[in-house]
Parts: sequence; structure tokens; C-alpha cells
Amino acid sequence: MAESEPEPEQEPEPETEDDAEPQVVERDLTMSRAMVEAIAHEMREDEEVFYMGEDVADYGGIFDSTEGLLEEFGHDRIMDVPISETAYIGAAVGAAQEGMRPIAELMFVDFFGVCMDQIYNQMAKNTYMSGASVSVPMVLTTAVGGTYNDAAQHSQTLYGTFAHLPGMKVVVPSTAYDAKGLMHNAIRDDDPVVYMFHKRLMGIGWMPAPDGPKTPVPEEAYTIPFGSADVKREGEDVTVVTLGLHVHRALEAAAELADDGIDAEVIDLRTLVPLDTETVRESVAKTGHLVVVDEDYRSYGVTGEIIASVAEDRLADLEGVERVAVPDVPLPYSRPMENEVIPSVEDVAAAVRSVRSTESGAE
Amino acid sequence: MSAGEDRVAVDTDAVWPDDAEEDEGVVVNWFAREGSHVREGETICEYQVEKVSVDVPAPVAGELAEIVLEEDDEVERGATLAWIVPA
Amino acid sequence: MGGVTELQAMFEDMVTARYYEERLQEEYLEGKQPAFDISAGPIPGELHLAAGQEAAAAGVCRHLRDDDTVTAPHRPHHVAIAKGVDLKRMTAEIFGRETGLCGGKGGHMHLFDPDAGFACSGIIAEGCPPAVGAGLAASKRNEDSVAVAFLGEGAISQGGFLESLNLAAVRELPVVFVIEDNDWAISMPKERVSDVADGSRRAEGFDMPGTRVDSDDAIAVSDAAKEAIGRARDRNGPSLLEVQVHRRMGHFMGDPQTYRPEADQEAAADRDSIERLAAELRRRGVEDETLESIREDAHERVDEAIEWAKDQPEPSPEDAYEDVFANPPSGVTDEEPAYDLGTDARAGAESGGDD
Repeated sequence: MAESEPEPEQEPEPETEDDAEPQVVERDLTMSRAMVEAIAHEMREDEEVFYMGEDVADYGGIFDSTEGLLEEFGHDRIMDVPISETAYIGAAVGAAQEGMRPIAELMFVDFFGVCMDQIYNQMAKNTYMSGASVSVPMVLTTAVGGTYNDAAQHSQTLYGTFAHLPGMKVVVPSTAYDAKGLMHNAIRDDDPVVYMFHKRLMGIGWMPAPDGPKTPVPEEAYTIPFGSADVKREGEDVTVVTLGLHVHRALEAAAELADDGIDAEVIDLRTLVPLDTETVRESVAKTGHLVVVDEDYRSYGVTGEIIASVAEDRLADLEGVERVAVPDVPLPYSRPMENEVIPSVEDVAAAVRSVRSTESGAE
Repeated sequence: MSAGEDRVAVDTDAVWPDDAEEDEGVVVNWFAREGSHVREGETICEYQVEKVSVDVPAPVAGELAEIVLEEDDEVERGATLAWIVPA
Repeated sequence: MGGVTELQAMFEDMVTARYYEERLQEEYLEGKQPAFDISAGPIPGELHLAAGQEAAAAGVCRHLRDDDTVTAPHRPHHVAIAKGVDLKRMTAEIFGRETGLCGGKGGHMHLFDPDAGFACSGIIAEGCPPAVGAGLAASKRNEDSVAVAFLGEGAISQGGFLESLNLAAVRELPVVFVIEDNDWAISMPKERVSDVADGSRRAEGFDMPGTRVDSDDAIAVSDAAKEAIGRARDRNGPSLLEVQVHRRMGHFMGDPQTYRPEADQEAAADRDSIERLAAELRRRGVEDETLESIREDAHERVDEAIEWAKDQPEPSPEDAYEDVFANPPSGVTDEEPAYDLGTDARAGAESGGDD
């Protein structure tokens, strides 16, 4: 229900503040087009915004993250760079410290291994180490996620890895509407923002998206604050907290569960850093049951963090808890095995049913 | 061009890639909904042929009266994707 | 330059690899038309084909033994074939089957065949350090085996490659780095990402011999490789070899190549290292019939491998949980010996332990 009817007019302030009347948005965009629209807007407004990455110019980004930008902005601002992630991501850090607003793209998040020093020792820490005399206003965009059998080196989300290390804001949009508003905020933010877009949500012809990420998107610029989770579906019985692709899988599970009389609330975190624990806690106070769904590895990750943050504060509210995540194995190639380890709609539904059955025991 | 027809066809002829050998593609995304107002030149949908994504602009401003080929439908070169009633 | 038998062996590797790629392409595209959906069809995931690059693999691997190590990048099939990787099990792996080289866990970018001394990685340049490691092992054990790392020209600006050159040089390790220069790093022409057109010049900064073979002529590659591999085997240190090859297909299947000038695609199609070698063989008196029968045998072997692979069972979902570790998670033991370490703190802990 909520997935087919997002409510773009509900929360951000459009920059042109005509009046309080919500404007009707007539067009739908894919997530990639919404992202690109925000980037293009910011590049028109500010000449200091530029984009660096592999295959971002003529190709338009392997996952359409820069589709069409070259034509408007040229190779000077939409820069193809050598396969030298340490150099160009580090160069983005340096340019940002000079006051420019670079966007650097890491083609797959899995490639972070070759350049992590620039990300976590420079980009993420320079503000703090300098006593905030330096800031790093850059965006690191990167493609995440599996479901298309690209195996262990091209299918991870690594949400928890990035969110664990202090100093980076971490954004994970699940719809076109969110993607645009979060991108505007990411580029304007004076801090480094890791913007993780799920390949399966981009709306690419060769990797069809599920229903849901394509939403109405206002034409004007708007910003969505970080640390503000979005209740994508309201429900009374169980709180399902998730992000990225699994927002849509959770919504599908919720629709199935509704047929069985189980009313699930689906919370899309939208950002991992900062983390909106308040929305989660309030929901759990209402439902008493928490299921956290994550496409990252199970241990030491998002699921444990969300559950701990609720338990620390509202242990008494928790009648049952389940987590659904990638068991602690690398992503396998073959379809039956990949389907096994990436949480499915059925896995989410089963976890919701299971967590409700713990009710009597916990009371 | 039937009698009384004041609708304008959105077809793929004008935007079929020159170098495409295939005459068949697939509608990938609609961006405008039936009944919505579109501007001339606005990308209203996208189809894929030989792995190339092609944007389809609205030929005229007006109301998108009817979507003929939905997402995932196969589309042939020159096929009518939709009808627009000019504003 | 080798004898006719040696050239025929290269020819066989090359026609096997070319036909293999053509057949994989057919299989891969099954179910992907008119809509190209990466999740449809019998072969999962991405597929990076190497048609047009066969001369580099055949010319280099001709001089390698079973106990030599090869690492390849994300475009590995022609190298694997030339190194003698089991064709059936490789194909089963590409189809994601249980009897594949890696039980369906690795897939086409992550093929491992220790029996053939072959491995590959989907991360650019990241096969270079393990090749240095194989050379290091040979060096420490006083063996005369060598290691060869294949990489694309796009990889020569990556730290993993440059650091590997230096480590191999400073330790005088038996390693040969082979750059397959197909002019394109996905959509990026090499002049956009490097000011040096001849990648073998990267060797100069490490005081290492560097050679470029300017055409994908298998015989010229073989000659240059023979020297470099011989140098490594004789413990005279590493070398860098660059070979001009051609990308006859997209970066991956599904790459529309809209960025690539048609003339460039046509030029790649026209330059055929296989035809070039066939012409040389004919010049040396090899009958057309012989060449044709080599081709036919290769096709038969490939068709057989593909048919076999498609008949193999898929892994069961539960197999996903196996193989994370070689040993059990507890390591080589699940027991801890009892010692009296004599400290109060330990004594306290001990009383809480199981006796």
C-alpha cells in the first residue's frame, strides 16, 4: 500500500515555499534518474561540485548513476579517472579540504578494499583529528547489493562496515523520492557522506527493479534530513526495521502478512549514520515485537546495532526480537545458494510470524 | 489519421537507434502516468533495444491520454507507445 | 620462435578459447532477448569475454609447466584454457553447478584450479600480489617454478600492480607480469587514464626488463614470453610484458558499447590473431586439413564441456554454509590443555571453568 503511494508532499520543505498546500507530483522517476537530477541541480548551482569515477563520463555510470551528466557538464566536471581508487578518492578528500564539493564514485562498494585508507583514515577522520579546523565536504557514491549472482566480490552491501567507522554519514535510499532529497542533502553537507545505492533499485533496463523504488519525484530541489527514518507502512503488531532493497521485500512480506491478519509496520532507516533510533523505539513501544532485516552480514552489523539500541533504552517494551540477515558467509555465485543467503520476502514473513509466537514466553 | 482523431501518437520511429539491427525492444519504464500533463520534449518513458536504453520524449505538450504499451511489453520499431491529446 | 608442433599447440588453445567464448555468449544470451535481464538465462551473473585476446594467453602459457602459477583478472577464460584448467569443470562452474571447479561458489570471475596452478580475481590488479607470493614460495623453496600475473591495461595505474612490481623486483622473484592491452578499461580509452601509451615502460621505474609486443601475434608473444619466463626460471628476476590485443566484444555481455567508435570495433574485428597464426602455419607447410581438424577437435571438446556442464546438478541451498573455513571454526583443536599457571587471577577464573 505505502509502496505504491509514497507521499512526497508530506515531509520536506520544497525550497520554493509557496504555501502549505501539497503540490501534486505528476511524474514518476527511477531511483537513478532521481539521483542524477539532484546531482545536476547542485552542479548548476555550484561550480565547485564535480564528479569523479570510473566509467562515469561516456558510459554514464555502470549503474546509470551519472547518466546524461556528461552531455551537460563535459569531461572537466564529469571526470573519468584511472583505476586508481586510492588516488582519486584521496584526491576528492584533498579537493574537499580545499573547499570544493567533489563527488567520488566507487564503482562497487566491494572495491573499498583497495582504497580504504583514504576513506576511513583520511576522509572520515580529518575533521575530528584537526579539531574541526578542516572539513571534508564530499560525497562518496557507491553501488551495493546482490540478487544478480555476481558472487563474493561484487555483491556485498557492507552497510555495517561503513556505519561502524566514525566520521562518515551513511545514506541508503530505497526510493526515487528519498534518493533525490538525500542526495541534495549529501552534496550540501559539510561532512563526508557515503551514499550507497542498491543496484537492484536503480531502475536499469538490464536489472529490473521490484515495484516500489520508482516513485513520484518533485521537480524542484528538496532536502531530506539525515537521521530521519521513514515509516513506509504503518502497522500495530510487529515493527520491521530495514533499509535499501529490503524495504521493498519487507513491504511485500507485510502485504502477505496482512492477509493473515498480521499488521506489520515497516521502517526504512534511510540513513545509518546518523541513526534514527527514536522512530524505531516509538514503534516498538507500540508493537512490542521487533524484526530487523539487513542485506549485510549478520554478525557485528546493523541488526545487532538496532536491537541493542532498543534494548538499552526500552528493554521492557521488547516482547520478541528476530533478525534476518546474510548468514556469516561470503556471497556465493550459484543461484540456489545466493537465494539461500540473501533474505527473501518469505524469510521476512517467517521472522515476523516467529517473533509474534514468542509473545507469551516473553510476557 | 482516422476521422476526428486529434490525438498525437507517441511512437518509436523517431528515436529508434540508427545502428540497431533489432526491430524489437522492451518498454522498461514509464515516467508519466495516464491522465497526467506532459511537456513537449519531456522524457515520458524509456525502452531498451539491444541493451541500449532509449528515452522517449513527448512529441507535443498535452495530456497523456492513453498508454498503449505498458512496462515489460515488447515494442516494435515504429509501434505506438501512447497517445497524447495536445493541450 | 618455436617449431611447427608448438605453433599448432598455440593454435589449438586459441581456437578452443575463441569457440568457447562464442558458445558461452550464445548460452548467456539465451532468455535475454529482446529484454536483456541479467538474471535470466542459464548462466548467472556477469560475463566478461576475452575474444580477441587469445594470443596473449596462448603465447605466454606455452612456456609454463603445471607447477607454475598463473593469476588472471575478471576476464579469465582464455588464460585458463591455455594454462590447462579442466574445461568441463570450469564450464560447470560458469553455469553455477555443484561439480564446477568451486562447487558453484566462485563463478566465472573467481575460478580456482590448484591442480593447474590457476586462480583469478574480479578486483582489478589484485591477482598481482598473490602471483608475487607464488614466486616468493618458489624462491624460498629453491624451486624453479615461476608465477605469471595477467592484467588488463586499465590495471596498470592500480596500487596493487605497482607495489607488486616493486616487491618482485627488490626480492628478485620469479614473476612475469603480462599486461593484455585491449585499449579499453570498460568505456575509458587508455589515453584518458594514462599518459604512457606503452605500459611496459612502467618497468623502468623498478629497474625491471619491460617489453611490449605491438601486435597480437602469438609467435611474437611466445618469443617475448619465452625470454621473460626463462629469466624468471633462471632466477634472474621479474619482467613485465605488454601485449597489444583486441576486444572483439563489450566489456561484459550487455555492454551496449555506445561509447566506442564503430571504426574501433570494426578494426578489432578485422585483426584476428587466430587467422594470422593460421596463415603462418600454412606458410610453414601445415595443410588446411590439419588446421581444420584442430578446429573441429576443439569445437567438439568445447561442445562436450558445455553439454556436460548443463547436465550437472545445481548445488543445494545449504551448500552455501560450507567452506567458509578450511579448518573447523575452533581451529586445529577443540580442546585446551589444563595448566596450573599459579596466579590468583587464574585460580579465580579456573574455579569458574569446567573441571
